[in-house]
Amino acid sequence: MTKVLKDKKAIGIFVVPGFIIYTLIVMLPIVWSFYYTFYSGSPGLRWNFCGLKNYQMLFHDKNFLAALLVNLKYILCVMAGQVGLGFLLSLMFMFWLTKFKAVVRTLVFFPVVLPTVAVAQLFAKIYEIQPNYGLLNSVLAHIGLQNLVQPWIGQPSTALGSLCVMDIWVAMGFYSVIFYGALLDIPQETIDAARIDGAGGFILFRYILAPLLRPVTVTSLVFSFTGTVKMFESAIALTNGGPGNATRSMSIYMYNVAFSFNKVGYGSLIALIIFLICVAGSGLISRLDTKDIY
Amino acid sequence: MKKTGNVLLCLAVAVCSLAGCSKKTASSGTGTEKIISPSSAEDPKLSKKIKILSIWPEDNDNGVLLTDIFDAYKKENPNFDYDYELVSSSDLRQKVTTLAASNDLPDIFVYESGKPILDLVSADKIMDTGSILEQFNCSDKLSPSAVSLLKNLSGTDKLYDLPLGLNIEGFWYNKALFKKAHVDVPETWNDFEQVLSKLKAAGIQPLAAGGSDKWGVTRLINAYLVRTAGADAMKKAAADPARYTDAPYVAAAKKIQDWAKAGYFGIGVTTVDMNTAGSMLLTGKAAIFYNGSWFASNLNDKSANAAGEDGIGFFNIPVVDPSISSGREYSMNCGNILCIGKNRYDEATGWLLKYFVEHIGDTAMSLQGSVKGYTYTVQNTQMSDYTKLVLQELGNAQSAFTWFEATMGSEVSTVAQNNVQTLLTGDMSAMDYMKSIQYAVKTSN
Repeated sequence: MTKVLKDKKAIGIFVVPGFIIYTLIVMLPIVWSFYYTFYSGSPGLRWNFCGLKNYQMLFHDKNFLAALLVNLKYILCVMAGQVGLGFLLSLMFMFWLTKFKAVVRTLVFFPVVLPTVAVAQLFAKIYEIQPNYGLLNSVLAHIGLQNLVQPWIGQPSTALGSLCVMDIWVAMGFYSVIFYGALLDIPQETIDAARIDGAGGFILFRYILAPLLRPVTVTSLVFSFTGTVKMFESAIALTNGGPGNATRSMSIYMYNVAFSFNKVGYGSLIALIIFLICVAGSGLISRLDTKDIY
Repeated sequence: MKKTGNVLLCLAVAVCSLAGCSKKTASSGTGTEKIISPSSAEDPKLSKKIKILSIWPEDNDNGVLLTDIFDAYKKENPNFDYDYELVSSSDLRQKVTTLAASNDLPDIFVYESGKPILDLVSADKIMDTGSILEQFNCSDKLSPSAVSLLKNLSGTDKLYDLPLGLNIEGFWYNKALFKKAHVDVPETWNDFEQVLSKLKAAGIQPLAAGGSDKWGVTRLINAYLVRTAGADAMKKAAADPARYTDAPYVAAAKKIQDWAKAGYFGIGVTTVDMNTAGSMLLTGKAAIFYNGSWFASNLNDKSANAAGEDGIGFFNIPVVDPSISSGREYSMNCGNILCIGKNRYDEATGWLLKYFVEHIGDTAMSLQGSVKGYTYTVQNTQMSDYTKLVLQELGNAQSAFTWFEATMGSEVSTVAQNNVQTLLTGDMSAMDYMKSIQYAVKTSN
């Protein structure tokens, strides 16, 4: 094996074809997109070189800044919810659940495999208020909390939060399985030894589990971050970016700009910004994974 | 490895440079005229397989008419065939734009009338359908009002599209609920507001509206605006003698916001789509619903219309000042339209179009009891009362005005529709709503 890996020809045969395909499919469109940022209009329809005009427009674009803010709120909320609740669920699987473990894990993981549009339709019905109350409003009305009955996805103040709840519910099962796998990898003797020394509850978590789970936590945060930065299909399916612009993410704004407003050049610039945020954020989160955990 | 990487990067840059060598399209003007005259007086039955892009499935709405006519033409011309491609209406504009960019527009495609086709006209992507019909001697098959409406919408002297509907819009109402609240059909706007108030007092939701689809609400703003400021109010704001922030426009937005505050739309109107709002009217959950004459096809569907054959009535937008806008002035449109791709157009397509315009009027009336903007000779003896009602109202119309977004570009209309939801919830004032539209005009230019 070492002989193969030292052979440059062997490396070439194994790596170069994949590298070429990766370059053509992933890298080339990014470079091509960057090239488009210097043009205005849409290819084939009013496509003109405009220099840095798109870049100047970006800094004064209130809509872009609003979409960025929506994205940031969504990222913070959903990352914390998905990874945090996923972790708590894994602790439940590991330390609390004694019966029906497989059934509970399956039920918790089930939303992950559901199509986004189907989940959005489900939650639209849960949040419904007109013509009939959905599940949530019905329950609130029945338990005497009529004052909390409201159009959850029909007003800007609650729409983003309602969307976050949906996306957290969908993905927390995925992270619970990842964390559960990582917890199973921790030697039982380590946990037993800590318990013998008097560690329990939060102390056990803080000084034993958390450090050992750091690599998996960082990986989960990176997965969650890259998913939330690209917030698109769930917002489109549940609220279509509304009401107003309350759930309009940068991806939705980029899609509107490029394909509805026929400003492919400017849309490419927004896409580039999303890409840079993704790379920068993932890099920042990855720095949390230091090697000196033992 | 480093050398390979450098080579690949150079290749990528080279490809990008080649991409920049694409033709610059003309930013204005109609480009070259493509004149293909018929080679004979009769259809020579040329061989052709056309591609049609549609938003209706083959067994629904206009899809039925299109496939019926194409199948009939296939029997007359065995050398003809067609491919029917379906795209969702929300993806239509993106699909057509992408195909236009790659010079791959279909022979015939459904599109949106008005401003959207101007980009295709200036990029020389679509045919002048008016001259095609003249060359093939069938211009008289189009209804003059439809031709006038389409030219007006696109602001061109020539006709670049074909209608697939001739619709009026107004208020459909539930007769049983009106009876229950002891109210009559209003003729003036003041009467209308009193009707809304009485319905609310009787415990009936006065209005159903598709707030999540947005356009159903902007139509209401347009209704009051036209009645107070005239049929050309939106045209004036788009062409700059007026601004969207002028008093009449803000007042129209405020009117609808006041209705929302008064609870006329019920709670959570921004979560209701047009189909649900229509169902609410038919099932007696709301008394009045603004929609177009195409709603008659829902009313004619016995399985969907719980109100029955005579349960729903129609009235035009009530009048504020008859000297500004009378009761015989209706909001009208031609629905989605058909465009002819220039790239693939030839004589065979011309003969197909001739057959299409000569037969669609009669086909639509026979199969669906609907008017599509073409002349027709058949009488649909099994016409429902709702179809007769629509035809009666169409006959009553003396003048027309267009919908709220008709004179707006895509960016401005998106802002107008998105922000109408925050207008309804009260999160945006009427003035701020109109300011957002005016700002979108500035940024889109």
